[in-house]
This record gives sequence, structure tokens and C-alpha cells, in this order.
Amino acid sequence: MSTPALRAHAEQQFADELAALVRHDDKPKPPNWKLSPWAVATYLLGGELGGEKISAKYIGQRRVIEIAIATLATDRALLLLGVPGTAKSWVSEHLSAAISGDSTLLVQGTAGTPEEAVRYGWNYAQLLAKGPSLEALVPSPVMRGMREGRITRVEELTRIPADVQDSLITILSEKALPIPELGDEVQARKGFNVIATANDRDKGVNDLSSALKRRFNTVVLPLPESVDEEVEIVRTRVASLGKALEIPAEPPALEEIRRLVTIFRELRAGATADGKTKLKSPSGTLSTAEAISVVNQGLSLAAHFGDGSLRAADLAGGVLGAVVKDPVQDKVVWQEYLETVVKERDGWKDLYRACRELS
Amino acid sequence: MSTETHILGIRHHGPGSARSVVAALDAIRPQVLLVEGPPDADELLPLVAHVEMRPPVALLIYRPDDPKRAVFYPFAAFSPEWQAIRWALVNQVPVRFMDLPQRHRLALDAEERESTALNDPDRRVRRDPFTLIAEAAGFSDSERWWEEQFEKRHAGPEIFKVVLELMTALREEQPIESLDLRREAWMRQTMREAQKEGHERVAVVCGAWHAPALATMPTAKSDTEVLRGLPKVTVAATWLPWTHRRLTFASGYGAGIHSPGYYEHLWALGHDGQLATRWMTRVAHLLRAEDLESSTASIIEATRLAETAAVLRGCVVPGLAEFNDAAQAVFCFGDAAPMALIRERLIVGEVLGGVPTEAPQVPLQRDFQKETKRLRLPPEALDRKLELDLRKPNDLDRSQLLHRLRLLRVAWGKPETARGKGTFKEAWTLRWEPELEVALIESAPWGNTIAEAATRFTIERATQCETLPELTALVEILLLAELPEAVESVMQQLENQAALTSDVGHLMDALPPLTAVLRYGNVRQTDATMVSHVVSGLVARICVGLPPACSALNDDAAAEMQTRVNATQSALSTLADESLRTAWSATLRQLVEDDALHGLITGRCTRLLLDDGVLAAGEVAARLSRHLSRANPPNQTAAWIEGFLAGSGLVLLHQMPLWNLLDGWLSSLTPDHFTEVLPLLRRTFSTFAPPERRQMGELAKSGIGSVTTLTAAPSEEDIDEERANRLLPTFSLLLGNPPETRS
Repeated sequence: MSTPALRAHAEQQFADELAALVRHDDKPKPPNWKLSPWAVATYLLGGELGGEKISAKYIGQRRVIEIAIATLATDRALLLLGVPGTAKSWVSEHLSAAISGDSTLLVQGTAGTPEEAVRYGWNYAQLLAKGPSLEALVPSPVMRGMREGRITRVEELTRIPADVQDSLITILSEKALPIPELGDEVQARKGFNVIATANDRDKGVNDLSSALKRRFNTVVLPLPESVDEEVEIVRTRVASLGKALEIPAEPPALEEIRRLVTIFRELRAGATADGKTKLKSPSGTLSTAEAISVVNQGLSLAAHFGDGSLRAADLAGGVLGAVVKDPVQDKVVWQEYLETVVKERDGWKDLYRACRELS
Repeated sequence: MSTETHILGIRHHGPGSARSVVAALDAIRPQVLLVEGPPDADELLPLVAHVEMRPPVALLIYRPDDPKRAVFYPFAAFSPEWQAIRWALVNQVPVRFMDLPQRHRLALDAEERESTALNDPDRRVRRDPFTLIAEAAGFSDSERWWEEQFEKRHAGPEIFKVVLELMTALREEQPIESLDLRREAWMRQTMREAQKEGHERVAVVCGAWHAPALATMPTAKSDTEVLRGLPKVTVAATWLPWTHRRLTFASGYGAGIHSPGYYEHLWALGHDGQLATRWMTRVAHLLRAEDLESSTASIIEATRLAETAAVLRGCVVPGLAEFNDAAQAVFCFGDAAPMALIRERLIVGEVLGGVPTEAPQVPLQRDFQKETKRLRLPPEALDRKLELDLRKPNDLDRSQLLHRLRLLRVAWGKPETARGKGTFKEAWTLRWEPELEVALIESAPWGNTIAEAATRFTIERATQCETLPELTALVEILLLAELPEAVESVMQQLENQAALTSDVGHLMDALPPLTAVLRYGNVRQTDATMVSHVVSGLVARICVGLPPACSALNDDAAAEMQTRVNATQSALSTLADESLRTAWSATLRQLVEDDALHGLITGRCTRLLLDDGVLAAGEVAARLSRHLSRANPPNQTAAWIEGFLAGSGLVLLHQMPLWNLLDGWLSSLTPDHFTEVLPLLRRTFSTFAPPERRQMGELAKSGIGSVTTLTAAPSEEDIDEERANRLLPTFSLLLGNPPETRS
């Protein structure tokens, strides 16, 4: 390869660690799994195996990952649910890299995902020349996963139209994909499974039918547990994004990020950080990813229209836009929050004033 | 003659321990059984086998002279002690408690409180010995560890030897508290007595921690030394019905247990290997009963997932943690909300115990009798009317007692509306029913005095209130019951609920009782700041939420809202807080500006702002004429006038500017216009009292000039002092002072 790929797959990026795990893994492996469930857990959560250090891919609750792996080990399909920015796709990529050694069998769910992407399509030149035959058939990633006994990923399952979603039902319950045109079928080999990811907060998704839901074990990936963890995520992402976008402002003060993260976390959780006061939650998701974009927006405001360093006034507009998604309900939520929490908090007067001016 | 002594070290409330104890007792067949527990309650032991005795129950030991000093020993069906006692009673083996009696421990407690024992390093809370072992074994909590090591393995009687060894090793590294030394000395003395009686086989059931101390006996002399000179108080004991929920609280045995319902399931299941399947089936049935989807296929998948997860975590069989994770992933589609239901109904489980009627009276009943005697308020089975004058101390106490009983749901007194005016009067109808006695006993676990029980019960109830009106209703009684401790926690709850509610009406309903407390109540200083914090939070939320809540109301809803606006206004007017009133006025102003709102609301708000002097008379006149102009639909106009004038016939007579406005507007009407609005005006004016209407008529007849003289404020020079002085004795009488002798 002359130029390196913009982004390497998990199994390429962490090839060394995977190889090390394979070397030292002496626990029983389910059929067609590259690693034992214990080694998969170590790969995801980090740790040491046979003296080799494995970095943590997922920082958060151990039990979430354990249940996800146990689900795949019982050959049930796994549905990773969570608000945007909770590392759903990240976990799914690493799980399939660790289990099948390959994370590329991927169906990207969009509003326009056709049935061919889940089942199979036809190569029309071949079809016209030879008629329906196996050579003319274009297998979907799902079909390939079934044939090869590997994990197939379905990203953004709830964006896929409902009728296309439902074509997964047979695959998941019968573990077979009929091809009526050839009077044939593909039976899944051991090791095949599906990891789907879906968003449970965004509006306008195609909710899963209960028939499909029943065929998944659902694991909800939680938001970062502590303020510090989340502040750190926002800080590092903002730093790397700021470089790419070439925003000339100084890096934001940690204090300002902390305030922003605090606001987001409090509104999300429906309670103040000290747990003393309950709050209403707005209709938006207020994910970590949104916090990152608010800080970025504030930075460019500060650089182009302010004095170059991030101030409360630069953040206020972004915060308002992130919180108030529904002009009636969310406005009440935000104003209540301003009046009962922001106003009374020590050292937040500037933020209160800046927000009051806007609303 | 030698005596065989078997020490059975158990884990309190462990179903596995209970099973092992019963098996061991069956094998040993002791001639006497000693159980860790308070000997003060030895006489109550036979009641355990009574047919009406249904666990969970608790043994209560208390000081009759100071019932607040009390200790509870809760027992569930799966408690090893309970099963051991039952075994003894069924097999007609003598059984007695062997711990240091509470008559000494409560006395020691009292002494300790008097000395400055708080700084004593030895008084640190001892860490649960099992926590230390569990941590060493890599478990996050001791309950799971015990479950893994013993209860899930259905280990036989040899487990007691293992426990003994473990604890011996552990005790070598741990400091032993002085209280433990005394307790163990007492236990050994009790064992020696039993041995002296000549029994061949003695069985001892005690907490595992104490087992090593009982296995090796020091000399009797040293124990006598330890126990010398123990202080003593009088104690009484009785059985109380308990609940699973209360088993989860810390009590006489130390920490509470987190999952009594699950343990009961384990106990009831016995050695059945189908634990996972059966538990998952119960979960599925519960969810089905709540109309949540849960098929048989899901039970299969949940069981498989729990078992696989257990293997992945290195456990022998799945435990509660795996069951919960599996149930959430399979049944609940990842949703955490149904898990709360499972926790409440299955893992804790709502079970209420029962106690035979032969059990001695509970302290709460005694306190009740003491109070009724003190207040000369004997319970009678007849309806009895009672009118209280809250200015008299005895009557005030009576009122507080009745309100406290209402909080406890002991419905002895029914509040009636008092005749005559004045907030110091309260009327009740009293009637004592036999079931109230039962209600009183049911309240016994909450405390040993009426005040204490009412406080705790109210705090608990408040946490379960799901809507603001429920909570507001509770607060109204609570504030009359004078329970400052409960006020603090309920206020916190109220604040939380207020934050969550989206119904501004409910917020507005919650405000008046609170402002009444701030203004007239005799709450303590700390409570006052708390209440005022809640009030300002409520007002802020009302001010934010009111304008959207007022839009698009129909006539009924508008009338309701108008009443609430009035109530909020009068509640706020009693407070001296300027910032709250400014915020409120600003909100009213915002409402007034919105012509799209229901006329009743805008009319009312205009009037309130006029009364407060926020809107000038000229501005109001402009609004009046705008709202009465022909372009408005007639019913909207009528509503505006109704809102503007509602209930204020007298004010119209005394407020010159108002009268002038209305009069000016009426005279400016063209004949046609007048005929059109006449029915609307009639409708409003007909709500005024007849004398008011007559006066208005006279006022209108006499013309504007005479009105001015009638309402002109008398100046100070006009006062005839001699005539005024004649009124003073009457005033003083009215204010409750004794009449002075007239000179």
C-alpha cells in the first residue's frame, strides 16, 4: 500500500494485541471464534494476559461488555442501544474484530437501505446472460457472514425502513436465508451472529417491530459515568478537532468545558450534580458529541468575533441551541433551569446574564 | 459427664444457612438449643410456633420509661435463627436466647451517650467480617461471596467447620470490640449453664463472627470478670408484624438485606436445581401481569444468557446479578424502568407479617394511651363532636395528636368545618373503632411514640407520592401536626416533585399552604429558610410556566385558572419578599399583554395589577375600553368584565378610579352598543350582594360629585378622641384580653 488508509480497521490497528491474545488464550472457544469469551472481554476492557498489556477499548461498566459477550456466546443477536456518542459502533467494531478477526462485514443502515443489502442482489449482466444461478447472485454482508460463520454488523438498525428490517427475522430465528429463485438456501455456519446498533433517543427512527425486538438481546450503553471522564473526552476531541478545522482561538479553559459538561449532565440526568434538586429534562439528547460541537462553535465565535478566548457569552448561544430543540417545552425546561440553578450557583453569574440576554 | 457442644455459625438472614442449620439440627438432635438473641424475650419464644404467627416479624425490646430506646430483631421465614427456633419448638427441645441481654445493653448505651464516647477510637463501626473475606476473594460484596461459596452450592453440615476456621483466621487479624467481648462472655456463660444442667448434646446457633469465641472456652472466672458490674434498666419485649421492605433497613442485627424477596424464593425452592428457570418465570409472570411483553421463548433465552454470563464471570451458578442483567437484556429490551418493578415486587417483595393477638401490647399503643390520658381525650365508640380553641395549649396539643394520627392513617378524628370565623378554631368528629387499634399496631414499626411514628411514616409516604397534589395534601396535614423533622424531608420531596411536574396548576395549588406557614406558622428557624427556598423555587417555576399554561383554555378551565391566579396572588401578598412579587407582577403583565388569552384571565390579571398599583388607572381605562369595543366577540367581553370585577362589588364602591372608569365607559356607549353589552354586564353585576347593588344604584343616581365626598379619606384631624376612646375596651375584649374595669 503506497498511502496509508485514512482510518484503519480495528483488527488492523490492534493486530498486535489480537495476536498476543491468541497466543496466550487457553480457555475454550465457541466454534469459529478466534478468541475465547474471556479473551474478548480482556480485549475490550483492557488488562494483562500472559504478561502482555492490552489497552482498554471501552471505558465504562464491565457488566455491560460481559452481557454483550455472553449474548453472542449463546448465539443470540446483540442489539447495542444508546444515545448518540456512547461508542455503540466502536464497541460493535471491536467485538467483531475480536470474535471473527474481521469487522468489515457491515450493513450501513439508512432510510434508503434496500432489501438487497440484507439478503442478496443480482449481477444483472450475469443474470441476463446465464439466467438465475449462484454466479449471478451478489451476496449481502449478512449472507457472507452466514456462509463464513462470522459476525455481521448492522449499523443504525432503526434508520432502515421497517420492511427491510423485518427481513432479518428469518435470518435470526431460522439461521437460514432462502433463495427461492434457485430453490436453494444458505444455512448459517456456527460463529455467525449479528451485532446491530441503534439509537434510542433520536426522533424519526423506524421503531423495531416487536417480532424483531424479541430476537435480540438488548444492551444499553450508558453515558459517561463521571464529570471528569466526560470532561476529558470533550477536551481531547475538541483539541483534535480544533487542529483539523484550524480554528485560531486559544484552547478553551478547562473550567469552561466543565461548566458546559455540568449543564449537559444535569439536564440529561434530570437532577443537579449534588443530587439535591430535581430538574426537567429537555427533549434533545445532549450527548457528549453535542457538547464537543458547542465548544467548537464557541471557539470559532471567540476567535472571529470575540477576544480570542472562550467566554460565557460565546458558549451561551450554542448551549441554548443544543438544549432548546422544541420551542415550547424545552424553553420552559431551560428557563426553569436558568432561574433555579444557574442563577444561584456561585461564579456562574456571567453565564446566567449571557443566557438571559439571549432568551 | 461430658457434654457435646455443636457450634453452628450462620449468616443472619441467609437462606442457605437456614437450610444447613435445619439439616444439622436434624442430625445432631440436641437436647437444648441456644440461639443468638436477647434473653429478655425468652418468654415470647413459644409464640413462634403459634398458628397466627406469620413471618416477617420482629422482636422488639424497649424501655417502657423511654420507648424511643428500642431495638428490633427482625426474622424472616428464611432466617436461620427463626428456623432453628421453630425446629426446637416442633421437636419439643428447650430453646433460649443467649446474647447479652438488652436490659444491660440499653443501659450501656445510655451510659455511653453520657460519656464522651464519640471520640473513642474503639467505637468505630466494625466492618462486616465477610466483606473483608469477600474482597480478598475478589468479590464486590459479601452477600454475593457467601452466595457463591455456600448457599448456591447447597453445602452440607461440614460448612460449619469451614466457617469456624475462616472466622478463626479472620478474628486473629481483627480488633475485637469491647461490646463483643461482653456479649461473647455472656454467650459462654449461658452455654456453661446449659452444660451444667446435664444435657448431653447442646446446639448453639450464632452469627459466624462469634463462632470461634464460643468454640474455645476460657475459664468461667474470666468471663464473670468481664461481666461484673453491668448496669441494668427495665425492658419490655413484644412481637411486631414486619415487612420485607423494612428488612432492607439496618436494624438490630446490623445491616439490612438487599433482596428479601429473592431470598424467600431461594428458601422456598429448597434444593430444587431449577433456580434460574423458576426465577425467570416469575419475572416473566410479573411483567405479563403488568401488560409488558414476556413470552416463554424469552424465559428460555434469559435463562441461557444468565447461565452463560455466570460462566463468563467465573461463578458456579447464576446469581441475582446475572438474573438482573439477563432480564434487562431480554425482557426489558435494555430499558431500566421495568427493572425497578422487578426489584420492588420480586427482589424485595411486598410481604406483611402477622403476629398473634396474645403478643404483649406495643409501645405505640401505650404512648397513645398516655397521650389521650394527658389530654383528657378518652377513645369512645360514639360520635363525639369536639371544638378546639388553638390558643389554649391543651387544645393545641389535642389538635396535633389528631393530625398526627391522621398522618398514620388512624382515622379517629374527622375534621369538620368550624363554625364562626377565625383560624384558631378547629372542629372534629371523633369516633373510635376497633380496627383503629389494628391500624395503631401496624404503625408500631415506625416508632414507639405517636410523634416519632408519624414523622417516619410521613417521610416514607412522601417518598412514594408520585404527583404534586398528593404531596400537597400530605403537606397540609403535616404542617398542622407540628413534626419539624418530617417537614424538612417532605419539603425536599416537594421541591423535587415541583421540578418534575409540568402542571402549573398543581404548582399553584402547592403554594398557599406553604406561604401560610411562612407567614403565620410557628416553624423553627431552619424550617423557615427551607420553606422559603421551596417557595421561591415554586414561584420561579410558576412564573415560567404560567403564560403557556394559560393559552387556549375553555370556559371551565379558565374559571379554574382564575381561582388559582387569585389564590397565588393572595398567597404572595402575605409574603414580604419583594423579588417574588416583582417576578409575579411581571408574569401577570405578560398575560395582560396577550389578547389571545381567555378574557377571564386577562381581565383578572388587569385587575390584580391595578390593585397592586402596577398598572396606572389611565392604562387600565385604555384596556377596559379596548376590551369592551365592538370588534370583540360578546362572550369574550363578558368574560373580561367578569374577570376584572369578580367578587369586588365593595371595591367598586370604595375605589373611586374604578367607579369612574366604568361609569365613564358606560356613559360613552351609544344606545345600540349599550343594549348589546347590557346582558353581559347584568351577568357580572348579578353576582354582587344585594346591598352592594343597592348602594351602587344610589351612587349612580346621586352623580359623580357625591361619590367623591363619600370616598374621600378622613384626615387625621377629624378624629374625635373622646368618642374613639370609648371603643378601646371593646377592642381589647375582642383581642382576647380580660376586660379592664371601666373608669
